[in-house]
This record gives sequence, structure tokens and C-alpha cells, in this order.
Amino acid sequence: MPEVSSSEVVIIGGGVIGAAIAYYLCKEGAEVMMVEEDDLASGASGACDGFVSLQTKQPGVHLDLARESVALFPELAEDLDDDIEYNPCGGMMLATMPEQLKELKARAKKMKAAGLEVEMLTPADLKSRLPEVGKEIKGASYCAQDAQVNPIALTLGLARKAQDMGAIILRGTKVENIVVTNNRVREVHTSSGSIHSRRVVCAAGTGSNQIGKMIIVDIPVMPQRGQILVTEPRERMLDVILYGAEYLGTKGGITELMPRDEEAAKLGLGFTAEQTASGNFLLGSTREFAGADASTTPEAMNAIAKNAMYYLPWIKELDVIRSFAGLRPCSPDGLPILGTVKGVKGFFIATGHSGDGICLAPITGKLLSELILDGETSLDIEPFSLYRFK
Amino acid sequence: MRVNECESMQGAGGDPWSSAWERAARGPVAVVDCREEIPCNPCEEACARGAIKVGEDICASPRFDPGLCDGCGRCVTLCPGMAVFLLDRSHGKGVARVTVPYEMGGELLEGGEAWAMDEDGNALGTAEIVKVKRTGGRTGTLLVTVEVPEGWALKVRGVRDRLISLEAPEETDAEQRERDYHLCRCEEINVSDVRGQAGWFNSLRALRRYSRAGLGYCQGRFCQDLLRRELAQTLHAGEGEVGAFKVRPPVRPVKLGRLGGEDA
Repeated sequence: MPEVSSSEVVIIGGGVIGAAIAYYLCKEGAEVMMVEEDDLASGASGACDGFVSLQTKQPGVHLDLARESVALFPELAEDLDDDIEYNPCGGMMLATMPEQLKELKARAKKMKAAGLEVEMLTPADLKSRLPEVGKEIKGASYCAQDAQVNPIALTLGLARKAQDMGAIILRGTKVENIVVTNNRVREVHTSSGSIHSRRVVCAAGTGSNQIGKMIIVDIPVMPQRGQILVTEPRERMLDVILYGAEYLGTKGGITELMPRDEEAAKLGLGFTAEQTASGNFLLGSTREFAGADASTTPEAMNAIAKNAMYYLPWIKELDVIRSFAGLRPCSPDGLPILGTVKGVKGFFIATGHSGDGICLAPITGKLLSELILDGETSLDIEPFSLYRFK
Repeated sequence: MRVNECESMQGAGGDPWSSAWERAARGPVAVVDCREEIPCNPCEEACARGAIKVGEDICASPRFDPGLCDGCGRCVTLCPGMAVFLLDRSHGKGVARVTVPYEMGGELLEGGEAWAMDEDGNALGTAEIVKVKRTGGRTGTLLVTVEVPEGWALKVRGVRDRLISLEAPEETDAEQRERDYHLCRCEEINVSDVRGQAGWFNSLRALRRYSRAGLGYCQGRFCQDLLRRELAQTLHAGEGEVGAFKVRPPVRPVKLGRLGGEDA
């Protein structure tokens, strides 16, 4: 690349969020450069499961955002050249304790009031819909609109399509500084030259803190580790995404749904299971604050395996071939941080999606594209402003 | 065939086939005919009953204990060298049933006929197909059981679609295979898949993420070096520049039940 170049918009970060923003900007004919320090999907987007889930969202703005996003997946699956393995299979949240079941019922009611169809299933219903489940399962809530997708294929698909539409993708390029003069972003200095641009988007996930520092803005994103087990590929056995009710407990900090086991609570353990298009089962997961350490630990692997057997006894016969961990960009309240920054014109934030990045990527891309090009968005993003924390 | 004839043919591990031959009178049992001392051990991991052992030296020939074998056929499916078959002499009448893996095109139907082939690719004759079992997983390997005269029992190594003329081998197929081949056997990723993705990544780790090469049962233990060489060549980079896979536990496949604290 030439040492000095220019672009209408520079996106920092080559994960699913950056790729989605690039895609929607290019659709509107914008000139886009995406700068990625490593390779595409080398952070959280490449180290997660493929849940596209609605029933785990908090009723209100969070759920509204997710519903708008989920509605975009079918057209993305159609438009992208890569097969993103989108499967609208529905999702079940399994309760193992009476109080969990009660809480799930109450939530289903709230979801219904908010316009999302969530039905309750009895153990007898489950029998006909799932391979054998554990004896402790008291029931489940089912959302037909939950889905699964291949997160890596989604990221790559969005980036490839954006490139086809003219986006320039710089991999192995590190952002070193952002030049602001007269309260406006002017230039991005990178390890392979500088880019003149009046609009810069921070979609750097767990690296957002570092980027914020360059313009002296505190972007409160903490890496939260999620560990996942991978089994050998098998024939299609599970055509639904599954969570345990305690997953919601550790995700939303809901006391009634927290795991009882102290060790599990410490790991932020919550049962998740999906069978990917390639046949492997992805079994999760944990929510831990372990700094930048993305290694998997024996304690967590044992705990995930034990928990998975508790929900799905037959799964113990499968071989585990790998474990992996990703660092989710976690905001203080678990909701994304979207919008502009006071005092620095032309700087946009799209980060802090916590564990929802894959699910919320399409709507994030669309809204950010609107915000950058038109100055206003079709959905109110004020609740996701950086300034809600102060 | 007489037993002493069998004894002269031995599995490379030194296990005489006579014991498998005897055991086959009671029902299907595996016969391991692995003579290549190559680094390969899926058969060991395939066997839930521990009947096949390769051991620490991955180049060693497998040792097989017919007494432990229940004839499940998983080793037949998983052996990449097609060096295991099942033998079943329990049906008497001077016939034997032989189960071999089949991964080619064409239609093999139960009740139909197939060519029974020997190890050199010569047709022994036609044989009745008594069972076609589709195994799970990505490879789509079929386990085909044919009934043959007992005298052929240890000679059959494969079957071919009866509709394919044996005089005209599929040259186009062979040519294609020569141009393209698996770099990653577990996930069946070809060299052309890797080259097709070039331009989208700089590192071996990204190659794995995007193509799934090295993400299968072996987790790169067999294919990493091949992939590294291919990627370095494609990117015109040094082999040291493309990095290495991140090794994640477990180092070898382990039953989930065991990981969850249940005794194996």
C-alpha cells in the first residue's frame, strides 16, 4: 500500500462487527478501508459458538435490537457468496430446578408482552423433540426464532462481499495513532502508512480500550473469557440450540437462575450446546475475567463436560477433540456500546457486544452505516451510548 | 482354505490370522492387514474395546486381539489406508461374509452384485451384496458386506460397482486425484481448497479457521507440516513465517464422560 492514502471511512477491527459495518457501508456506496492487526476473525469472532438467540436477551431495548438483527440474517444468507450455515432451528432453554422453571415462565410472559413468541415445553414435549435429556430437566422455554450460524463464515462472508463492493482490507496492519485536530478526526497512523479520513469507526472488540486512549476517551470494555469444548463430528443429532437456565443467570446476573454449585458460579458456567453444520458439537461455556489469557483450563473443561452430561446424558459417549477460548469484549452492563463521542467529530464506536457480537452484528453494521452516512439511525441507539455509564 | 495356510499370512504386527479365522466362525471380526509402517493410528482410537493397539511409537504396526473384537466395524470405517476388513464365517455353507469400506461413486445396493477385488485391484469375481451400511461423519464411507466363497475370504480387499466396466479404469478420476489431493484427511480439505483461500490470510492459524484444515479428529498432528509447507509455498514466504497451530487440550481425543469425571 502507498505510504499515504485516504478513505471516506476507516474501520478499525476485522471481526464480525467491523466486517458488518464495512458491508452495510459499501452497500450504500461508501468508500471503506478496514484495518486489522492480525487476520480476519482472529479475536472473539473466531472463537465463539454460533448462537443467534433472542430468548436470552433482556426484554426492552436489548431484545428490540436483537430482533431487528435476527430479521436481517435470512437476507444476508441469501446475499453473501459464502455459505454462512444459517439455520433457523429454534432454541430451547432447559430448567433443572422448580424455581428456574418459574422464572422461565415469568420471562416467557414478559417476552410475549414484548411481541416475541416464547412457549413453555413440558418434559413430555421434550421427549418428542430432543434425544434423551437428563432426569433433572423440569421443562424448557422454546423460541422458534432462535437460530445458529457459522461465525467465522459470517465474518469472512461479510468482509469478502464488502471487498467485492470496493472495500480495501488491510490485514497485519496495526493502528498506532489517531490524529484529531479542531475536534475532528483527520488521520489514522498505521504500521503500514497513514490514512487520511474524516470518519473512523472503532470496532476493535477487546482492543477498543487501546483505541479509545488514542483520542483520550475511556471505552470501558473488559475481556471476558468463554471456554468451549468441541466434540468429534457426528451425523445430525441435534437440530436446535440449547441452553441451561443457569446460562441466563450468569449472563444477566439473575440470582434465581444462578448455578448452585459454588465452583460453577465462580467459572460463570452456563450450559450451551449446538451441533454445527460440520457435525461437531460445541459445548459451553464459561464467563471468567482472566485478563488477556485466552487459554483453556482443566477445571473449566471438566466442569463443562460434567454439566453437559447432566443435561444430555448420551453426550458422554462422544470424543472431545478440542477446547478453545475466546475473549468477549464485555461492557459494564453487557450491552453494546454504539454511537458517537463527545468532542471528537467523526469518531464512532461499535464495540462491547459482550457475548452477543455474532447475533447483533447485522443490525450493528446497518445502524452504524446509517449513523456514519446520514447522521441518524432507524432505531434509537441512545440507550447504547457510551455516556450511559456516567 | 485351511488354517495353516492362514498362518503363513500374518498381520504385520505378528498376530497370526488363524486366531481371527477361528474367531470368525462365531461372527464378524476384524482382520488387520496393515503392512506399511507409517505414522498412523486412527484404528487404535476407533476401537472402543481396546482390541487394537499401536502404542507410543506411532509408526508401529497395530497389534490386534481378536478375542476383544466385537466386529463393530468402526476401525474399518476409520482406517485411512483401508487396511482393515471384517470377516464373518458364522453362516457356514462354505461361504464367508467380508465387510470392506467403499468410498467411491456408483450405486451399491443390498441384494445386488458387486465386483470383489483383491489387493492388487484384480477382480476375483462377482459377489452378492448382503449389507450396505452408511456410516456417520463427513467421509460418507460405506461399509459393504459381500458374500463370497470361503476360499476368497482373506483375499477380498474391496468392491467395485458392477456397472463400472473393469476394462476401462476411470482415468479422469485418477488424473483429477493427481492434480488435487487431501492435505487434511480428517476434514477432507484438498490442496486446491487451500490455494483457493490464499490472499485471505497470512498465518497457518487463520488457514485453519477459514478452511477447517487441521480442525478434525487429529487436530493437525498429521497434517500441520504439510499445510505449513503448502501455505508457505503459496504465500512465497518462509515456513517459519506462517506460524504454527495453537495447540489446545485435549492432546488426544478423550471421551466426554471421562472428562466429566466418569470412569472410562
